Amino acid sequence: MSLSKDSGYRSLPKAFSSSCSARFALALVLVAATLPTAFATEVITDARTLVRAAMDHWRGTNSYSEMTMTIHRPDWERSMSMRAWSEGDKLSLVRVTEPRKDAGNGTLLKDKEMWSFSPKINRIIKIPSSMMNQGWMGSDFSNKDISKSTDILDQYEHELITSEDVDGRTVYTVEAIPHEDAAIVWGKEVLKIRDDFVMLEEQYWDQDGVLVKVLRTSDIAEMGGRNVARVMRMSKLETPEEWTEMSITAIEFDLELPAGIFTLSNLRNPRQ
Amino acid sequence: MAMPVAAMSRLAWRNLWRNYRRTVIMLLAIALGVWAMIFMTALMRGMVDDMVQQGIVALPGHVQVHAEAYRDDPSITHSLPAPGKAMLEVLESRQVIAWSSRIKVPAMISSEYENRGISLLGIDPEGELALGFDPDDIVAGQFLTDAGDGGVVIGRKLAERLETRLGKRVVVMSQDPGNTIADRGFRIVGIFKAELENREETIVYAGRDVVQAMLRVGNDVSEIAVLGHDYRTPEKLAADLGDAAAGFEVLSWLELDPYLSTMMKVMDGFVLVWMVVIFLALSFGLVNTLMMAIFERVREIGLMRALGMRPSAIVYEILVESLMLLALGLLLGNVLAVSTIIPLKSGIDVSVVAEGMEMMGASSMLYPVLQWPDVLLANAVVIVLGILTSLLPAWRASQYRPVEALARN
Repeated sequence: MSLSKDSGYRSLPKAFSSSCSARFALALVLVAATLPTAFATEVITDARTLVRAAMDHWRGTNSYSEMTMTIHRPDWERSMSMRAWSEGDKLSLVRVTEPRKDAGNGTLLKDKEMWSFSPKINRIIKIPSSMMNQGWMGSDFSNKDISKSTDILDQYEHELITSEDVDGRTVYTVEAIPHEDAAIVWGKEVLKIRDDFVMLEEQYWDQDGVLVKVLRTSDIAEMGGRNVARVMRMSKLETPEEWTEMSITAIEFDLELPAGIFTLSNLRNPRQ
Repeated sequence: MAMPVAAMSRLAWRNLWRNYRRTVIMLLAIALGVWAMIFMTALMRGMVDDMVQQGIVALPGHVQVHAEAYRDDPSITHSLPAPGKAMLEVLESRQVIAWSSRIKVPAMISSEYENRGISLLGIDPEGELALGFDPDDIVAGQFLTDAGDGGVVIGRKLAERLETRLGKRVVVMSQDPGNTIADRGFRIVGIFKAELENREETIVYAGRDVVQAMLRVGNDVSEIAVLGHDYRTPEKLAADLGDAAAGFEVLSWLELDPYLSTMMKVMDGFVLVWMVVIFLALSFGLVNTLMMAIFERVREIGLMRALGMRPSAIVYEILVESLMLLALGLLLGNVLAVSTIIPLKSGIDVSVVAEGMEMMGASSMLYPVLQWPDVLLANAVVIVLGILTSLLPAWRASQYRPVEALARN
């Protein structure tokens, strides 16, 4: 584990970095249950920190990855290969490499703003608000799912619900309830985070308490010096035969990214 | 004129009732025709009136002020500041009943399951109610309480489409003037119904101050809607506001909703065409009746001619006969029409064909509107065209040669 090297984790309480101190967290929850007013904020802060850590773990200070996205429908299936760069919470660039007819299509994210570029029309299009709910590149991820950046931190109240031992590791379940005026349709999201900050599951519940869709990690592998959710699948419960799977083929963290990578000109004229 | 009018009239009157069955049938035909003219016109007037009034409530107002480019591209970039001193003077004057400034921008609304494109209205509830929003249209929950209300009121159909309901949260997404996405979660505090399904599906009301903050536009609004006294004459109000709001586009509903105003204008022409068409059908019956009456009386006409009655007097006699027939028919028709319209003043339920009516922008209740000019027009059309069509048989009768006519049997 390269945790100590990573500056992003310095502010983390040790509570979540080993399974022995996980018991401490559990104790905290128990205490919080008996003394809700006194400890509630403490626990919530912890839950939030846990989510923060999971995000940092996933993105690093910056990252470069290669992945394959498979869109599955009952009567067809197609795959796309792509390369992605990210920096901090707010900057990402994704570029399609395969198949050839989609190669060169790119998406640039800066905070909540989103642009897409298609070499066929040689145009950059800023994704307007009216298209934010449409599927990203035809997948089950909406543009909004892709561009929500730190929403999961800023727009929700977090609460650590349980922590349980699974195969010798602790898995924390965090319930995130959106703020009253947050631009989020879900009633709640439930995050399952392993003690090495790998996100195992993200559940989207509607406001009547019905589970609508799930982003589930089906394979974890050590890549780029840390454990990474290698294969993740997004599926709606109503249509289990329709899903989108992201599978990472290579990932590197904390590298030297050239300047100007997250710019519109780079989106149009790739320099990597 | 050789014959005195009284004698002529008596002759005509007796001729009319010589074959009373034929006359009664003809009377009924005329009465039915007149009834159809007046009744159907009243229905059409009612429909158009209803459409215009609904259109004005939907706009809303008789006159609206927009930024120059707003109507071509209703985005938030084309906004206008809150009304200045010169405008307020007109808005507070006596020719204005109510006014309100509102934001109206295209937006997306999403629930957990669905997204729809909508028109987001940032309103001041008080002003909106004054402009004609009917609080009885709220079928669940309540209308917004003030301009800072953090809830939304959506249409019944939209709630259905979004698979959401009162009390749940939805997300509204639009763009600020810098083209950055502006979004916010709102709780549904009310559900409204509208006569037109399209309104239920596309209109979402939110507090103006909240929408202004969400879109980051300060105090700017998209439009100022002004309600005057009479919807038929909005021109004066529009002109006064136009002087006060230099640099902005001030238009009356006649220009804002050309479909409706054209509808109103076309209606007058249409009423006349409708009456003439009914009359044309009627005229065949009329000509036929008079012709038959004449054919039966060829010998009689020949005798009158032989006794020295002039052809012009024969024409005259036949015309008086037809005039009597028409007048009686009209009387019967008018009474029939008025007596069917008055009991229906409270409306006719046509919800069976509601979908078709909706496509035209009319509601499923039909309120007949009796306008005296229309009644007069119907009577005039029947009298004038009736006399004209009777000219042909009258002229034919006057052209018999007495000797030949007397020889017929």
